[in-house]
Amino acid sequence: MTPFRSAPAGYVARWDDVEREVLGRVARDVAELLRAESGLEPGIEVGDGVAFTGVARVPQDPAVQRLLPDAHDEDADVAAEFRHLTQTDLAAGKLARLVAFADAIDSPDVLPDDPREGAELVVPRESAQEFAGALTDVRLVLAERLGLVDDQDVETLHDDVLAGLDDEDDDTDDADDDREETDDAPDEYAGWERVGLSGRERRYWGGVFVAAGFAQESLVDEMLADLRAGRASG
Amino acid sequence: MNGQTTTGARLATAAAATEAAGDTQVDTREDAAAAVADPWVTIVWNDPVNLMSYVSYVFESYFGYPEAKAQKLMLQVHHDGRAVVSSGPRERMEVDVQAMHGFGLWATLRQSGASDGVSGGGAA
Repeated sequence: MTPFRSAPAGYVARWDDVEREVLGRVARDVAELLRAESGLEPGIEVGDGVAFTGVARVPQDPAVQRLLPDAHDEDADVAAEFRHLTQTDLAAGKLARLVAFADAIDSPDVLPDDPREGAELVVPRESAQEFAGALTDVRLVLAERLGLVDDQDVETLHDDVLAGLDDEDDDTDDADDDREETDDAPDEYAGWERVGLSGRERRYWGGVFVAAGFAQESLVDEMLADLRAGRASG
Repeated sequence: MNGQTTTGARLATAAAATEAAGDTQVDTREDAAAAVADPWVTIVWNDPVNLMSYVSYVFESYFGYPEAKAQKLMLQVHHDGRAVVSSGPRERMEVDVQAMHGFGLWATLRQSGASDGVSGGGAA
């Protein structure tokens, strides 16, 4: 995966086949989770200024609660009214952009001559915000599944994932499990312990989380530069 | 929040005209005006996932805030756990909160008169 770079056609990066496959699958899984948890009917379309109101289902999954959070932290009536007015629209919008994200990375713009180079993805400026938003929702759900509750958790995960790239062969699950059981740094591992992931799962999903963050950070840096330069067309 | 979030930014031209003075007296007057005319606020809460650059992008692109103001609010969210990012009538704040949720930021509404706008809670 290379960082996104601004180009005339949009923001361009190269993603390996496995990166496209995994992130596309996760995005579709998140879309399906969102649909099920928010009670959206299959086939509902958002747009045309039509506002859907009424809530088929209040999400119970903490990851979806994070995507569709309460709008008031103390007044349950205000939160419920807001949810009634907005949840279906919000969920449908998120679902649509997650699917669009997965479709876009399923069919890259330029396939490489050398497969090791990765396919070229072009994110047009007018859809960059939706692409970045889909990456956000994917990362929010992964973070919940990984038990990331504070900045320290995220930093530790980054360090673990990047270290794993260097010595993947030596980094066995047993070693991970031993480390989790020590009390050297209880705060750092509180998140992992809560969700009960194995070392293998944590490394896999952690790698996906870090890759999605890398893609998003480089994309948003370029979007922000364009916005500030007054060149954004979206 | 006093004076730090310029809650009166969308308010009276009179306040805007004297804004250049930039002293606490102006801020106080703006806050007093905001309490009457703009009883609701949108609060964005910190989370460990959203990137600082993304939060800045949201504040600059959605609210149209200048880079310096967006940066200040973003850092306030990051360090203090939350920041008031807009104020106005409840209907307007509902639109802002919905937009923040669309971007994936964690945002809530509150009546600004209640305990100086923000109190209690945590950015867990």
